Amino acid sequence: MNVWYLIYRVIIDDIIFYPPIYQFLIIPGLIAALIVALIIIWFERKAAAFVQMRYGPREIAPKIGGAIQLVADLTRYALQEIIIPETVDVLPYLLSPIIMIILALLPLEAVPITSIRTYYPIPPDYSLLIAVALSTLSPLFIIIMSWASNNKFAVVGGVRESFIITAYELIAVLGFLSVAAMTQSFNLVQIVNLQMSGKWFGLLNPIALLVVFIAVLMSTSGFPFEIPDSESELVAGPYTEYTGLLYGLNMGGAYIKRWVFSILITIVFLGGWAPYRPTPGIITGYFIPSLIISIKALIVMAIMSFLRSVYGRYRVDQALGIAWEILIPLTLVAFGLGLAEAYFGII
Amino acid sequence: MPAKVALKRNPKKNPLGRVFSGNIGALAVGLKYFFDPNRITLLYPHEYIKLRQGYRGYIILIQEKCISCSSCARICPARAMKMLSVKVFDKRLKKEMVKKFPVINYNRCIFCGYCVDVCPTEALYHVPYHDLVYMNMQDMILSLEDFQKEPEDVTAKEGLPIKYIFDEKKGLVKVKYEEEKKEVVQPQQSQQQKENPQSKQVDKGGVS
Repeated sequence: MNVWYLIYRVIIDDIIFYPPIYQFLIIPGLIAALIVALIIIWFERKAAAFVQMRYGPREIAPKIGGAIQLVADLTRYALQEIIIPETVDVLPYLLSPIIMIILALLPLEAVPITSIRTYYPIPPDYSLLIAVALSTLSPLFIIIMSWASNNKFAVVGGVRESFIITAYELIAVLGFLSVAAMTQSFNLVQIVNLQMSGKWFGLLNPIALLVVFIAVLMSTSGFPFEIPDSESELVAGPYTEYTGLLYGLNMGGAYIKRWVFSILITIVFLGGWAPYRPTPGIITGYFIPSLIISIKALIVMAIMSFLRSVYGRYRVDQALGIAWEILIPLTLVAFGLGLAEAYFGII
Repeated sequence: MPAKVALKRNPKKNPLGRVFSGNIGALAVGLKYFFDPNRITLLYPHEYIKLRQGYRGYIILIQEKCISCSSCARICPARAMKMLSVKVFDKRLKKEMVKKFPVINYNRCIFCGYCVDVCPTEALYHVPYHDLVYMNMQDMILSLEDFQKEPEDVTAKEGLPIKYIFDEKKGLVKVKYEEEKKEVVQPQQSQQQKENPQSKQVDKGGVS
């Protein structure tokens, strides 16, 4: 009995709830991201259908509104033949989707999702800076992907991606750092603790929240701004030459990136685990805060995907014009607002 | 001098107005439809549009009324109708004789309804449905016996009848069809005896 109990404790404490593994693979990480991608893609199609007077997915399981349609699609992607064209550069072609997904999940390793000291994945002193910096890595592999595909559409898509990324990562980073200007710290635990009183930074500095929201939508090629892989102009943008499971990875990669960013938005602007105060213990100190953050981030993602049904797609020059002419000045205003609030002691 | 076109004042002239009126208006409309959806897609095999009697569907021949005048075959713009010589027993003359009757080739038919309109004795009529499947093109050239039978309305067996109406607030709305007029169900026998040529002309004008 004692041995089994020990093994059980080892599995629970040291493997599943070991912070780097838990955060990378389980709740805000891979498994939760896949479940969220299933829910969000279904919601996105359904919401767009409601607004455009259609029904959306329905034929598989009509009683629950076709919710398991995505499982069927995923099975099809997984079982499809992977065709590798002769002209591609094989090693980067195969590796870049996988590395992109891993790097897209990497910022979760820097984000603390509880205030208990033993469950920090890394020391949280500069965690906001590290998380934001890590989130800018994965788009590089989309560009590598497009170059390795050796295809006109893919290259044009990759060029568009690089334009969009240079414009919008800057806005996202500056928008997140305007909170650092407010709190004079990069420590995410301290940032959440300051929001415990109900003064969420999204309410104190709504301009920064708006700017970051738009920048995240744009840089993860969310629907109103899916400029790199615009179906009607470029076949699938950087993903043109991909088939089967690799294309499924690329499809999911955008959603995983958006999921990571919405977790960051939740922690920085929407109070993280705010109404709840973690107490020591695995369930109350680690599991429940991560669930609260996931639910908040899910709502943020649902709002993002609802915008798909309302807006039309922007052209590249329009998107870049919005970025450089409107959003960067707005970001600077948000930064100044944060500094002013810190100066007058509103926080 | 042409009349001056009155231009609407554009609320989206300055950039701030453009941002607010455009985005917030679009979001409000989207939210309205999200919480109160008005879905008008026809889920075809599960539902079907219940069409009215005037619909130009498949054409059926009533052989007893046909006087073999060939008007239908002559007026047919797609040359889908042909007259076929058949040996029949004439009841009035009480002897067997050869008469001509129309048959139709649905490969060519464009469902214009001229043959039904031109028929002097109303021996041809439309059925108000049009979704049929033939297995090959040879089957679409009907024989005289097939031309007299009403084809089976398969979707009516499985699906729900649906009709579209205009609502004042919502626009086009899909509602369930309810049988409201019972005269419409059996139109052929009762109406054709009452009708005189004048009323038929009025009908023609209404249809075309």
